[in-house]
Amino acid sequence: MEIKFSGVTKIFQPDIIALEDIYFQMEKGDFVYLVGETGSGKTTLLRCITREVVPTRGQISVGGNLLRKINRFNLALFRRDIGVVFQSFLLLPNLTAFENVAFVLEVMGLPPREISDRVSEVLKLVGIWRRRNLFPPQLSGGEQQRLSIARAIVSGPSLLLADEPTGNLDNHTADEIMQLILGINAAGTTVIMATHNEYIVDTYTHRVVEIHRGRIVRDEEQGRYELHGSC
Amino acid sequence: MAAVRYACRDGWRLIVRHWGMSLLTIFTAMSVFFIIGASTLFVLNVKNIVSSLENQLTIQAYLKPKADAKATEKAIKELPFVKETKLITRDMALERLRSRIGEQAKAVMLLGENPLPESFEIKVKNVSQVAETARLLIAIPEVEDIVYAGRVAEKLARVSSFVEKFSIIMLLVAIAASGVVLFNTIRISVYSREEEIGVMMMVGATSTYVALPFVIQGFILGITGALFASLLLGGTYYSAVTRLKEMLPFIPLIESTRLTGKLAFMLICCGATVSLISSLMAVEKFIRKASKPL
Repeated sequence: MEIKFSGVTKIFQPDIIALEDIYFQMEKGDFVYLVGETGSGKTTLLRCITREVVPTRGQISVGGNLLRKINRFNLALFRRDIGVVFQSFLLLPNLTAFENVAFVLEVMGLPPREISDRVSEVLKLVGIWRRRNLFPPQLSGGEQQRLSIARAIVSGPSLLLADEPTGNLDNHTADEIMQLILGINAAGTTVIMATHNEYIVDTYTHRVVEIHRGRIVRDEEQGRYELHGSC
Repeated sequence: MAAVRYACRDGWRLIVRHWGMSLLTIFTAMSVFFIIGASTLFVLNVKNIVSSLENQLTIQAYLKPKADAKATEKAIKELPFVKETKLITRDMALERLRSRIGEQAKAVMLLGENPLPESFEIKVKNVSQVAETARLLIAIPEVEDIVYAGRVAEKLARVSSFVEKFSIIMLLVAIAASGVVLFNTIRISVYSREEEIGVMMMVGATSTYVALPFVIQGFILGITGALFASLLLGGTYYSAVTRLKEMLPFIPLIESTRLTGKLAFMLICCGATVSLISSLMAVEKFIRKASKPL
């Protein structure tokens, strides 16, 4: 899924500039790391793509959809093609691991048999099939992150947005999560991953886009983590 | 189709998950619909009593000694509010007097001949039209005098009009109260699932898909409350009627099971409508707010 930001600025009231004059483009199947300090605007940029946030100025086009013009019904259909791994997981505590993933497909109106097959497959893929009947608070941080990824990819989205998917995880678990995400990308899914994890960015090198105070200050292929904006 | 099945399942889950709130809502809806039903029955009975009294209320128009009864009857029937006229001949009047005062009626005959005048008994279409009809009757030249229960007629007319207005106000207040209760219950359910709804909308749930379980929840609660209210009302009403008939047999109370059946049906339809509207309003307001981008 192609993404294009053209002169995007977002100002939150009263005068907090979250993003400023962003020009940014991605092609189908690309992998991009978004790096930058806390509060630099990474999450806002991701939320612009899901249209949780509407730019004050500029245009965003995702998969050919001009987001400013999309209506409520089409927005719902558009979001079904985007998988999101939230920074705080946002798993539903009163649903089991299986149900947490299944409800994404229920929303799409798939029949129970197909849901069961697809959820089983994806839980096996992320390695928590045996924990499927446990509730999120009963899972470890790594398992919750895997579950969050399972939920994001179960519908086979064209775009995966991952906000700090390896935050608070040790390097070994982070490696496992990264293998998963790279596998998803290799299957053709476009991936944008916001991260603070220097180890991951430097180990699995890809295009790096650095944001500093709402502006893109670096965009390089096969980049490294080191933050230039803070220098 | 699968989406509707999931929505029904989720609606049921909402009821079970918040069972305390659900019971409270059913109880409140039941109380409100019971009041609606009871006030409707009260109004219907008052109207039945008033209508029965109205039927008994007549105007007596006495004719002048040599008046032409046929011409007078024609003139009376031409008046706008007259429903029925009946000629009471002098003999009939005497017979009535006899049946009322017995042998003392013979005293009347001491005068030599029957002194009682001919008269017409007149019924009007509506009790509020008695006074006006009496005024028109006295204007007919053949009519010497008229007698009617003027104050009773006026009071009945006032009671009838008050009961009608009171019943409409009562029904509106009760329906609004049930709507508010259901609206608040659904709103609490919606807020208790705020996070879940947020995630649902992020993964592509349409507004209808998000709203449907809450609407189903409200519908089930409202209709259950109305159903229980109908059952309770039926039981209470017939037991009250049985007792009242023993104590006050002369009061004409409604005993038609068809009418109470219709009332139960009306209550259930009312419960369904009010619950659907209030749940839709509660959830729509939230969804509009939740789906508004920053």
